[in-house]
Amino acid sequence: MEHIVPKKEWTVAIRYNHWLMAAAIFVLIASGLYIAYPVNLSFSDKITEMHDIIFWHILTGICLTFLFVWRVYLMFFSRFHADWKDFFAWMNIKNSLKQVKFYLLISKEPPEHTHLYGPLQSVAYGGLLIMVALIVLTGLILTGAAGYKAGLTGIMYTMVRPVERLMGGLASVRLIHHFLSWGFVLFIMVHMYMAFWYDVIFKEGTVSSMISGVVFRKAHK
Amino acid sequence: MGQNADYHSTVSKQYRQLLKQCKVNLDRNDQELPAAAEDFGELLKERGVSRRAFIKWTSLMTGALMLPPIFKPALARAAEQFSRVPVVWLHFAECTGCSEAFLRTSYPGVADILLDTISLEYHETIMAAAGDQAEKCLEQCLHDFPGKFLCVIEGAIPLGNNGKYMRLGPKGKTGVEIAKEVTSKAAATICIGSCSAFGNIPAAKPNPTDCVGVSKAIGVHTINIAGCPPNPVNFIGTILHYLMFRDVPPLDGLGRPVWAYGKRIHDYCERRAHYDGAEFVQQWGDEGAKHGWCLYKMGCKGPYTYANCSQVRFNDGISWPIMAGHGCIGCTEPGFWDTMAPLEKQIHEDTFGGGQATIDTIGTTLLGVTAAGIAVHAAATACRHRDNKSETK
Repeated sequence: MEHIVPKKEWTVAIRYNHWLMAAAIFVLIASGLYIAYPVNLSFSDKITEMHDIIFWHILTGICLTFLFVWRVYLMFFSRFHADWKDFFAWMNIKNSLKQVKFYLLISKEPPEHTHLYGPLQSVAYGGLLIMVALIVLTGLILTGAAGYKAGLTGIMYTMVRPVERLMGGLASVRLIHHFLSWGFVLFIMVHMYMAFWYDVIFKEGTVSSMISGVVFRKAHK
Repeated sequence: MGQNADYHSTVSKQYRQLLKQCKVNLDRNDQELPAAAEDFGELLKERGVSRRAFIKWTSLMTGALMLPPIFKPALARAAEQFSRVPVVWLHFAECTGCSEAFLRTSYPGVADILLDTISLEYHETIMAAAGDQAEKCLEQCLHDFPGKFLCVIEGAIPLGNNGKYMRLGPKGKTGVEIAKEVTSKAAATICIGSCSAFGNIPAAKPNPTDCVGVSKAIGVHTINIAGCPPNPVNFIGTILHYLMFRDVPPLDGLGRPVWAYGKRIHDYCERRAHYDGAEFVQQWGDEGAKHGWCLYKMGCKGPYTYANCSQVRFNDGISWPIMAGHGCIGCTEPGFWDTMAPLEKQIHEDTFGGGQATIDTIGTTLLGVTAAGIAVHAAATACRHRDNKSETK
């Protein structure tokens, strides 16, 4: 006889962080696409469309910066579960291979649940955080160069400006920024598919867990 | 208001002190510099530059150097001393376009007179001497003005094959040798043009001769007047600053004077309003081009380029590239040519791996592959985990 035990997986902070970051990233991809391929939308009498969209892109980008800092803080200092160790789940090579086999449908046996994230999940989420760090870094350089450098953005710009030189000028910074945005588009696709896939295969409520915070584990009695 | 008044009095006090120091410096220059070959005032009269035109020019230069109007008399005095500074002008791997840009202008203004009368001890293109005679001029200058002359370098230095891609003069010295010898005795080294500053076109891929900028080649600090060609205003202003303050102007991380290269082209562009309003030229010669709209979509690199072209323009303020209807190509930036390619397309339309693939085509392809992969995986999962439903019951 087996019955289902609800288990708290995500704290309130992580859930808020997840959805705010998701919203910010969607807004940033949309507005970023507009900035790369601007068109005259003529949706109002205002004559500063491009300028306004750049402003909202920058504002959302600054929000993403804070969300990133918050996420990294939670990674180390969360009182519920500081999950920085879980980002190294991939270091268990045997388990990683098992996971790959499971994903490729070769084996039907899932790997052991040793960490909060699965081995490949840990790579993807770690990679995402690195991508966020890089896109925020290049974004802050471009923000400062665009003239938004009073107060806090000014301090951040002074800190990140030397990276502009390392990357080989503002043009390269812009290119890297554009390049990284594709990484987010691809990540979102795979991430959403895998969340639904998990939900279907394990029937633990993976998708709803990011709202309720609870997964439903099967327990054998 | 009270705070504001305090601020202003403090600032103007600082400027007055600076001006006092400036006068001391100019007096010192008067004693130390060699005598002028021609009287500057006479020369201006001869070339038909009125007093009014000269004062206008001092206003322009004072403003360009970001100094308040009280510095105008000091700047005029520095202009008098301009032609007394001994200058050695070296040419390395380049096209001499910078010299050409400085020598040929629309009509003789004050700047042209300054550049015409500049005390060139050595300049390979325009000197009458050749061969051993020319070499003697250089040696004489190094002997006569050690630590006092300005070394102006035009062109990148090839390092490949132990520098042997470039041999100059009757003794066949390599570029590296000459640069080391001259810069070691110079008061300051000014790099004219992006070639000597960052390598520019000689250093563009595949760079068979391994050209690099001067400061990277021989490890000296240089004042980089970047541009292809740079604006004469930036060169003259830097020397005037050197005369007035007996020091190089504040430089940014890449050795470019902040007064000239502190803002992007985009920041003061006359077409900026069209950028903010999303009015873009879509192709050459369309309605937008006739209306003078923004050239961002035609590959203008103004948003990535630090320079004052949009403020001071070229040829006595007559015009400049964006005014003439072509986007900025970003010639003042390090890695120019490679990082700014393609010049007439947006930066993200750069191709990779020698083919036609841009970031966006690679991205869209990956997106398609991922979508197809997801579809296949979902179908395969449906088959493989068919018994999943019954398992949980």
